[in-house]
Amino acid sequence: MGQVVGIDLGTTNSIIAALEDGQPWVIPDEDGSMLLPSYVGMSDGGQLLIGQSAWRQYAAAPDRTVKSIKRQMGTDYTVTLGDRTYRPQEISAIILRSLKQRAEAMLEDEVTQAVITVPAYFTDAQRQATKEAGEIAGFEVLQILNEPTAAALVFDLDSEDSETVLVYDLGGGTFDVSIVEVTGDVTEVLASHGNNRLGGDDFDRLLQHFLADRFLQLHDTEVPNDAVTQARLLQAAEQAKIALSEHAFTTVREPFLVSQGETALHLETDVAREDFENLIKPLLTGTLEAIDRALSDVDMTADDIDRAILVGGSTRIPLVQHLVEGHLPDTPVSSFEPDLCVGLGAALQAGVLSGAAVDNILVDVSPHSLGIAAMMDTPLGPVPGLFSTIIPRNSVIPTSQSQVYGTAADGQQIVEIEVFQGENPIAKENVPLGAFRIEGIPPKPAGAVQVEVHFDFDINGILTVTATEKGKGQQQSLVVNDTQTGRLSSHELHQSRDAIASLFGALPLFEAEDDEWVDVDVSLDEQE
Amino acid sequence: MQDYYDRLGLSPGATPAEIKAAYHAKLKEFPAHSHPEDFKAIRAAYEALRKGPQREDDFFAEVPVQAELDPALIEQLRQRASVAVDVTFDDLIRLTF
Repeated sequence: MGQVVGIDLGTTNSIIAALEDGQPWVIPDEDGSMLLPSYVGMSDGGQLLIGQSAWRQYAAAPDRTVKSIKRQMGTDYTVTLGDRTYRPQEISAIILRSLKQRAEAMLEDEVTQAVITVPAYFTDAQRQATKEAGEIAGFEVLQILNEPTAAALVFDLDSEDSETVLVYDLGGGTFDVSIVEVTGDVTEVLASHGNNRLGGDDFDRLLQHFLADRFLQLHDTEVPNDAVTQARLLQAAEQAKIALSEHAFTTVREPFLVSQGETALHLETDVAREDFENLIKPLLTGTLEAIDRALSDVDMTADDIDRAILVGGSTRIPLVQHLVEGHLPDTPVSSFEPDLCVGLGAALQAGVLSGAAVDNILVDVSPHSLGIAAMMDTPLGPVPGLFSTIIPRNSVIPTSQSQVYGTAADGQQIVEIEVFQGENPIAKENVPLGAFRIEGIPPKPAGAVQVEVHFDFDINGILTVTATEKGKGQQQSLVVNDTQTGRLSSHELHQSRDAIASLFGALPLFEAEDDEWVDVDVSLDEQE
Repeated sequence: MQDYYDRLGLSPGATPAEIKAAYHAKLKEFPAHSHPEDFKAIRAAYEALRKGPQREDDFFAEVPVQAELDPALIEQLRQRASVAVDVTFDDLIRLTF
């Protein structure tokens, strides 16, 4: 039997962790580095580059290098590398497959099952795309686990008393805050909130613009808007950001950044930590508001939190630490392996799910409300298109909930069930998850026909909706993960998996139940 | 209510600490990933007992097409309504001149 692993598929860096005697550990590459930069590129000669090598070529060849693909997960975005166009889940699959190879080389064993983490605030489509990425990479995905929850699993508490922990997770591209109650080996998430588009990438961008302004001041010349120059500037900004976590000042040197006829213009400037802090402070204020909302969702105040844990590379920024400490005045704020603990927690959960000797019990929540569009009575009269919540946010998962609705018009024969995810009282302002109809309802006065809408939400955050007309017992259902755009059919999954495998120079993955199909594919491979 | 107590193996009058301990014990017996239906039942019992006896029939709201509206929503609707009025007013002016 193969080994199980936990994977933190990050915006900027990814890691893979395994279990030994119930203890998780991060698997390094041959050079001993734990983090795999989440970069994928194609070299000049058409060779696939993953991680460090892709990161290195980014400033010289941004058009052949993909970074921060996590931000595109669950969208229909595509990117071209060499002669092929890739979907976000395929780029992520390349990263995952590289981690799989790393683990198999180190463990000298096949690695088949994985728990992959996602930001708690990821939507249904983003989770589904992540699961697909795992499958394209050749994993059986045991669970899609929330990142702050994974981090909380790593914190062993000695006492059997309950402790309430706030996990503040600020990574390269996403932000989450979760309030977690830990009692012995039971970890219960009480509430999660976040922002899917806030992280270190945004800080880099702000600093990049700041450096461009400095250049303009120094040389009275705009930094040209071509991809290579901007990529150099962005990477310089990222390096400066990292340096400013350690030092009060840093010097940015980008020689020959711009050539103007015969003369070359250099960028050489000092950046103070204070400059950087002024840039990012407005964004960080939003994270403090998220803390307050998570607290108010569970009727708590800062005083109820026993301790706060900082997770994610961006929490190395001193201002982040100061702001969180200032916001939770009497709470000890600590940090433990901010880059690794999500992956370590994922490995622990993989151990639990595969039946290894790990005793953690995890209870998680869904951070988004789920419901349908309905007509509701308001002080302004009946209003259609309002969002009627069926599963409120922060409900424990898995969960099943039902709600009964009546027809809104006399003689109504069709009911349309439109499913949404979000918090806006206007249904259309939320994320649409899919829609279906019940037809042939016997014409009766408004409200006389009742339809029960049942939501079933599983542990991976996948929703199944069933609507039943109560009179005739007519029933329609929808598995929401099958209907979203940007999702792959099983045939497409197969194709992607083989395409990615061939990039790694491997034969298509062996399918025990389908020998013939593999044979055909091998012969195709040989013809190329 | 008795069903909920039975499900967690408790008798009425159990203290909050006892309710929580019983809930945790049941979680270990029926983890969410392998026993989803048992888990949901345990969770429903725990939520009901933790809240106290007042809200038993929380899950099935029998009154359709009606919901509690929070003031934020009403404010949003008012704004929409007044925006709609503004547009008509503009159109009127355009038509008139």
